[in-house]
Amino acid sequence: MLAAGINDKYPDSRKRLIRTAEIMKKHNPTNMMMEAAWKISPVITATFTDIDTLKQITQTLKEEDLGVSIVISGLISEIKEAVKEVGLNMHTVHLSLGVFGKKELLPSDKVLEITTGCGHHCISSQSVEYYVDLIKNGKITIKKAAEKLSKPCVCGISNIKRYTKILEELTLL
Amino acid sequence: MEIKENLCTGCGKCVIVCPVQAIKIIDNRAVIDKNLCVECSICYRNAECPVNAIKSRRLKWPRIIRSPFSDVIGTHKLTGIPGRGTEEMKTNDVSNRFGKEEYGVSIELGRPGVGTQLKNIELFTTKFSQIGVEYEPMSPVTAILSDDKVKIKEDIRDERVLSAIIEFKIPKNKINQVLQVIKEVEKQIDTVFSVGIVSRVMEDGSIPIIDILNQQGFKVKPNAKINIGLGRA
Repeated sequence: MLAAGINDKYPDSRKRLIRTAEIMKKHNPTNMMMEAAWKISPVITATFTDIDTLKQITQTLKEEDLGVSIVISGLISEIKEAVKEVGLNMHTVHLSLGVFGKKELLPSDKVLEITTGCGHHCISSQSVEYYVDLIKNGKITIKKAAEKLSKPCVCGISNIKRYTKILEELTLL
Repeated sequence: MEIKENLCTGCGKCVIVCPVQAIKIIDNRAVIDKNLCVECSICYRNAECPVNAIKSRRLKWPRIIRSPFSDVIGTHKLTGIPGRGTEEMKTNDVSNRFGKEEYGVSIELGRPGVGTQLKNIELFTTKFSQIGVEYEPMSPVTAILSDDKVKIKEDIRDERVLSAIIEFKIPKNKINQVLQVIKEVEKQIDTVFSVGIVSRVMEDGSIPIIDILNQQGFKVKPNAKINIGLGRA
């Protein structure tokens, strides 16, 4: 991400952000912000499913020293060790304390795992139930359903591989 | 959003994608509950309506305020920032927005996926005014607070949005007061809210706030957003 009013004032800032995206893309993300948005968005996102890939990307980003802010979402314990291995330290964390208030308004925890796959709330709970029914009736594959569910949000954070696993569990219920 | 009654075939595709269950099939036609609809445009973009019955209409004030707090690709005209939040800690290695003696707090009303009326923000801001917090100036919620930073502007209080994020920072010694407010509001509010705490990481890699939060009865999730310090001005 480029810091508004700071990083983005340099003529080569966009080039640096796009280079960051290219490094991520090279490592075969399970999902990524569409390439058309790279030229305008202040942030570019990609999702990976294993810690070794994350280490390789972090190593390259450190070596190329692009000056772009990098934020990783994942298990604190894993990321702490991963960045340490490439000679970095965590700088700032955004911890989650979870959900409060009228939780009876929420769908089941399993459905929530998909609808909260990114923080933008674009996936409805009834769409999860709809695709679970289609899978159970043999009208769609789990993989295709996971891809469909990731579509409403353009951010590229939805973890399609994880959605596949959750849908497998939901179809067994 | 609007669904053209004369075109709709009642297939229900829009009902499935609506994140706040604002669309129902009545007499074989899809009908939007205008009170529940948060103007997120998800039905318009993703329902794949076979007869193009979903129309995006130019909204008027105050209803237009719903869209930037709900549509993930919208930009707040009040702040010029895309999305619902700000950079918060994502660029802290460059901006130093959160110093070593401070914590950041984000309270996202309506999250996950329930929505909220904007007036619910006042449940928090009324109490925070007694503590003294520094609101994030670029936050869309800060922009709709009155000058006293307590009230939501009168004409938009009842508007319903997908989420509204109260973002602020405090000196470390005020964290327990803020946590107390969260416990109190949880009992009063008619929706859900998600809470995040921003903290700098110590040089040895430790995050002392986690123990403080646990002592106060809050369960810190094992996953987090982590800025790894590669940014520079």
